[in-house]
Amino acid sequence: MTGSILVGGIGDADLLQAASVAAGIAEAGGASLRAVTISEQGTGSAAVVDGMVDVALVFEAGAEGLVSGAALADGLELAARELSPNLVILGDHPACREAAARLALRLSAGCVSMCERIQPAGEDGFRVERAAYGGVANAIFTVPGRAVCVLAATASAEGAGEAQGRATEVQVRALTGGARSIRKLSEEAVPPSVDLAGARVVVSVGRGFVKAEDIRLAEDLRSLLDAELGCSRPIAEDFKWLPQERLVGLTGTSVSSDLYLALGISGQVQHLAGIKGARVVAAVNIDPKSPIVRNADYTVIGDLYKVVPALAAALEARRNGG
Amino acid sequence: MRIIVCAKHVADSTEIRFDEQTNQVLLEGAPTKISDYDRNALEAAVQLREQNEGVSVEVLMVGGSEAQKALKEAIAMGADKGYLIEGGWDRFYDPFLAARVLTRAIEDIGPVDLVLVGLYSEDGYNGLAGAALAELLDTPFLAPVTSLALAEDTLEAELSLPGVRVTASSPFPCVAGIDSTANVPRLPTVLQVMKVKSSRIQTLSLQDLGLTQTVQQKANGVRLDEYASGAVKRKAVVIEGDPESAAGRLVGELVQEGVLQ
Repeated sequence: MTGSILVGGIGDADLLQAASVAAGIAEAGGASLRAVTISEQGTGSAAVVDGMVDVALVFEAGAEGLVSGAALADGLELAARELSPNLVILGDHPACREAAARLALRLSAGCVSMCERIQPAGEDGFRVERAAYGGVANAIFTVPGRAVCVLAATASAEGAGEAQGRATEVQVRALTGGARSIRKLSEEAVPPSVDLAGARVVVSVGRGFVKAEDIRLAEDLRSLLDAELGCSRPIAEDFKWLPQERLVGLTGTSVSSDLYLALGISGQVQHLAGIKGARVVAAVNIDPKSPIVRNADYTVIGDLYKVVPALAAALEARRNGG
Repeated sequence: MRIIVCAKHVADSTEIRFDEQTNQVLLEGAPTKISDYDRNALEAAVQLREQNEGVSVEVLMVGGSEAQKALKEAIAMGADKGYLIEGGWDRFYDPFLAARVLTRAIEDIGPVDLVLVGLYSEDGYNGLAGAALAELLDTPFLAPVTSLALAEDTLEAELSLPGVRVTASSPFPCVAGIDSTANVPRLPTVLQVMKVKSSRIQTLSLQDLGLTQTVQQKANGVRLDEYASGAVKRKAVVIEGDPESAAGRLVGELVQEGVLQ
């Protein structure tokens, strides 16, 4: 693609994600790449895009700048008016979604969020693909002219998407104008205690379990498989038997594991949206008509209260050379 | 303190199907309801009303006569009044159109101190309408909100951002996007919903709001070309039999797949 791409993010992860996807699109064609990010003070997340973009613009916006997308929107608007990019790509972050909405309105640009794939379409603008109706289908859009795209959590670069040896110039600027009326009162780091997205094996529990204590049945399996524990939406949101961090699905985490074991999970669309990236899906369910059956590679039809211990025993036997 | 909750009337996402033969999304016959995330916004509004003096809660919904029931349900949750903007379009990917319509309605109803929205809509799942609304109303936007409280002249909110929990405040008027984990929405009984008098609903026509032209145009400048299957092709092998032999067979298959270490 020729022309220019503006990339935006508020933190390391979303900025890097946006830059990677942009680098993949810019690859053949030599589009110029510029990044915009916000810092409280100093260069903020600029370091993560070193080598990937031609210019990294960091707008210093004080403590408030990182708490909403307002400052990011202002910074992107300034950069967009200077650069006139064909395409603006923002990473997966709530502040990026806010910034995208504000920016698209200010620039009168088309805007699509939750983007899985973005392709230049020559004179037609851009072809963008994303999940629709909670993952029931994928929708493909054309955005004529300038596009503002926010990436889905699962979007990643196609092709290399790594540092391409560009000489990155970092510019730090103050963000002037526009009263920053949101005030930050306090902050508490919440380090993730669960890494579902990066787990090689995930054992996941659903409503087939009758009581909270019964989830312990899955514990043997989990430890034999050295797996992370996940769950479906009723378990995390309705019953609160497990914390939200363990939720797999559209509003939770998407897995990219080698194996996803769904125990007593019926396979609602929102849950399936989170397991698309699993290489092999196996399930245990009492109901052969459950949607999980056609959305899994292997389903054992049976009572999980009997099958789960049997599975653990089989895995144990295998481990002990049986 | 005047709070308006924008609640979307949607087709029940668990009933929507995709036809792989025709590449069509089948919405016909899917029952309709209040979008789940907007229930959290309604609950947040009603809780603020219960915890503070002099707070009114009104609900704004877009839809035809079929949305009346959903709007009554929203009112039965504890709102004082509801507005039904006669709708008539279904472009889930155009949250900007929704934002333009809601803005015009709020200006008509106004002035308003606080607008609450669900963080996402259950059908579109764009996560953009709330921020677009804030931009058009020229107010700050706080999201994703997990709890909120009314202070002297400000809204104080706890925001659940990736890796960090922040409390922030915003002057009024402002828009807040409520997270699904913020609360457990109360469920009004069928009787409570039935008891909501139609007189508590005011209908706003697109014509009265001067929006008929706006709705014709694409506010988002985005064209939906087609749908494609989102499903991943799986083997769909079914293993039956007694637990022990079924378990053994599954382990065998997983060994073949090379996913067991």
